[in-house]
Amino acid sequence: MKNIVIGQYVPGAGFFYRLDPRTKIISVIVLMVAVFLLGTILQVSLAFLAVLAVMLAGRISVGRVARGLRPLFVLLVFTFAFQIFLNREGALWVAQEMTVGLLSLSAVVVWTILWRLAARFRRMRSLFLLVWLAGVYAALSFLPAFGPVFARYSFEIYQRGVETSIFVVIRLLIVISLSTILTLTTKPTDLTQGLESLLRPLKKLGVNSDDFALIISISLRYIPTILDEANKIMLAQASRGADFNEGKLVEKVKQIVSLLIPMFIIAFKRSEDLADAMESRNFVPGKPRTRIHELAFGAADLVTAIVTVLFLAASILALVVA
Amino acid sequence: MAIRFRQVSYSYPGYGFGTYEAIRDVTLDIAATGEFIALVGQTGSGKSTLAQHMNALIFPTEGTVEIFGSVVGPKRDKNVKYNELRRKVGLVFQFPEYQLFEETVEKDVMFGPTNFGIPEEEAREMARKALELVGLGSQYLRRNPLNLSGGEKKRVSIAGILAMDPAILVLDEPTSGLDPRGKKTMMDLFRSIRGATGKSIVVITHDMDLVYEYMDRVLVLDRGRLAFDGTPDDLFRRNDLERLHLDHPSTIRVLKAVSEKLGIDLDVYQKDIASAVRELAKAVRP
Amino acid sequence: MSFLDIRNVSFSYNQKRMVLKHIDLGVDKGEWVAILGHNGSGKSTLAKTIVGLLHPQEGAITVGGIVLSDETAYDVRRKVGIVFQNPDNQFVGVTVRDDIAFGMENLSVPRADMLEKIRFYADKVGMSDFLDKEPSALSGGQKQRIAIAGILAMQTEMIIFDEATSMLDPSSRRELMDYIRELHDEGLTIVMITHDIEEALWADRLVVLKDGAVFADDTAENLFKRPDAFREAYLELPAALRIYYEMEAAGDMTPPLAETLWRLGSGR
Repeated sequence: MKNIVIGQYVPGAGFFYRLDPRTKIISVIVLMVAVFLLGTILQVSLAFLAVLAVMLAGRISVGRVARGLRPLFVLLVFTFAFQIFLNREGALWVAQEMTVGLLSLSAVVVWTILWRLAARFRRMRSLFLLVWLAGVYAALSFLPAFGPVFARYSFEIYQRGVETSIFVVIRLLIVISLSTILTLTTKPTDLTQGLESLLRPLKKLGVNSDDFALIISISLRYIPTILDEANKIMLAQASRGADFNEGKLVEKVKQIVSLLIPMFIIAFKRSEDLADAMESRNFVPGKPRTRIHELAFGAADLVTAIVTVLFLAASILALVVA
Repeated sequence: MAIRFRQVSYSYPGYGFGTYEAIRDVTLDIAATGEFIALVGQTGSGKSTLAQHMNALIFPTEGTVEIFGSVVGPKRDKNVKYNELRRKVGLVFQFPEYQLFEETVEKDVMFGPTNFGIPEEEAREMARKALELVGLGSQYLRRNPLNLSGGEKKRVSIAGILAMDPAILVLDEPTSGLDPRGKKTMMDLFRSIRGATGKSIVVITHDMDLVYEYMDRVLVLDRGRLAFDGTPDDLFRRNDLERLHLDHPSTIRVLKAVSEKLGIDLDVYQKDIASAVRELAKAVRP
Repeated sequence: MSFLDIRNVSFSYNQKRMVLKHIDLGVDKGEWVAILGHNGSGKSTLAKTIVGLLHPQEGAITVGGIVLSDETAYDVRRKVGIVFQNPDNQFVGVTVRDDIAFGMENLSVPRADMLEKIRFYADKVGMSDFLDKEPSALSGGQKQRIAIAGILAMQTEMIIFDEATSMLDPSSRRELMDYIRELHDEGLTIVMITHDIEEALWADRLVVLKDGAVFADDTAENLFKRPDAFREAYLELPAALRIYYEMEAAGDMTPPLAETLWRLGSGR
């Protein structure tokens, strides 16, 4: 229960682990800008392959990164579908008349129910989703209009739609992969310290960024503690009959309140105690402090900087030439 | 027997990989009435885990726990009303902060009965009775539980469980953090509950003095195994207490030291100060 | 001149109830004073006023020659450290190393010195192997030891233990008491707040608070000669002494028994 990996950081070794967090943050931003300068599917595909090559060279597990993409799968599908449906330029590739009538709608409902029941036995959720979509497509397209018809729809896919959606999805994949490499190889505390260092110029504008890293690191440090407490509170309230699994909506609200209020109260007491402890150890907000963790640039950072600049130059070149 | 543990083990995923066994192969019985049991053992020996099996908050990973006839095993059984079991066996956690949340003491103590479907007026009456039982009169009903002292909060949390009228009461370290006066009040409270209702009470504690003075039976956990199940007298006569990380009660320690120092024969197994005094008086009188 | 001088200190949170009433208390350098009292007697409040976390409405506190005020609080905190009751709520660092470093970072200690001091003091409290561990992997007793290491690393001259053992199990409690004894032997000034008489026995002197006021201030031996006072302050004598007084009252006491019981109860 206590072995929780915060964010996506996985301890390891290799090129990316040796980099200063500031280098990684700036490179990711610059590379994202570079990617958005690209204009054709060919260019983004090359960029994607380059990212893959870099990951393999840096010994980043591609499988791990792919797993990190899973929660975003829905976003990718949505983006893809969005472009397909709304972009009506270029040559017409697919045209299909669909009828939304009593028969086809009932067929869709039955199909969905069957699909839900069968879903328990399927492992590849993503593929299974496509099977469902195919079924809906078939039902709406090929079943005769039997009974009242509610709407007729012309399902069309255009060339530009397909091209744009592929382009956008690949670009999204690159962006997500880059940020995943960042969070995979950088400890959360190093990340915040890097950000704090980069934000230091903001002090001139009156924004105090120095304690930023401390605030984040303290919050992170308490995550396992808070999770543990939440569990204990749920058990204590379950002891009084609060069943967190069942119950009508009204009861559920009460149950959630019985969990949240103790959590808040414990959190407030904690912040009071912590403030006392920090103050008694001579902490003064805003006052300059030395750090046990130092950030230092090395040869690896120089290499990364050079490669990033080259990428940017290549993108600008591609943009200008096109 | 109200609660029966049969070869119960509980393990969960531990650090990194592998599993951590909190309790191993525990078999014991607890009667519905008349028992006053101490559950002791070093921190990490599995006491809280064992207690949480008694009201089906946790399911064993091996073995079964029978609670008032319902069998709780590793798999969830649709026919077993687990929530009802939590009404029959009331478990009070160590820290009231995990439990108190309502605006008034009355509302908070009513939370338990209400969850079990008891109508409002009846729940209110049960709450009032439970609060009286723990020594908090009607002036506490409207107060905010968060503004009470530590000892008062503990009593409200106990009342919250008593209000459900459980058949068996299990308490996790009810006297820890209390000063000597508070400890005595708490133990007197348990005595009066037993006197008034005869319910069995199980108490997790570190305090051997309390165990010896008040309890009839001790369960000792050692790294998850039930190392001892018997009377305090039998327990404190053993010579492996150090291995079990248990102290002798202070009466035994003092009488043993006196017996050694003065070379006199004493029955060191006295449960409280008064009987220790009587024993010494007997031994010293010519 | 005492190292810690508390003169006529009174404190109230909300004007309605005086939590501390005209407290006079002195602690010499190298002394170990235990502050005993029932729950609600004002012990922890007193601890917080000494390090300037609470401001008394009346009176003055002087630490190592410095008169405590808003301006001097920082300097006073360089001389006095405080270990609180809840091991979890004072652990600031993401790892053990970070937590020990925290105080030194605040004092702008150079990094090289910090690393050395961390190694030294972690070793002192027996936690050298734990430097990279996270707090969720530590027991309460271990966290309290880290808290001590962090304070020692700031080279404080006095440590206040504010019921630092009350949330620990018996064996961790004993372990922590061993460390405190060691610190005392090395010359550190110690103020220990507790409601456990067995712990307080180790101190050079006991100060008993009752309802916010100093009820007694004497050695343990002398205080034990006043059992009524103990009862009045809602404290319990050690078992041997309770037996002692009951034997005496019943007229069954003999000199050898008396001596043995007294030694057992007041000894260490």
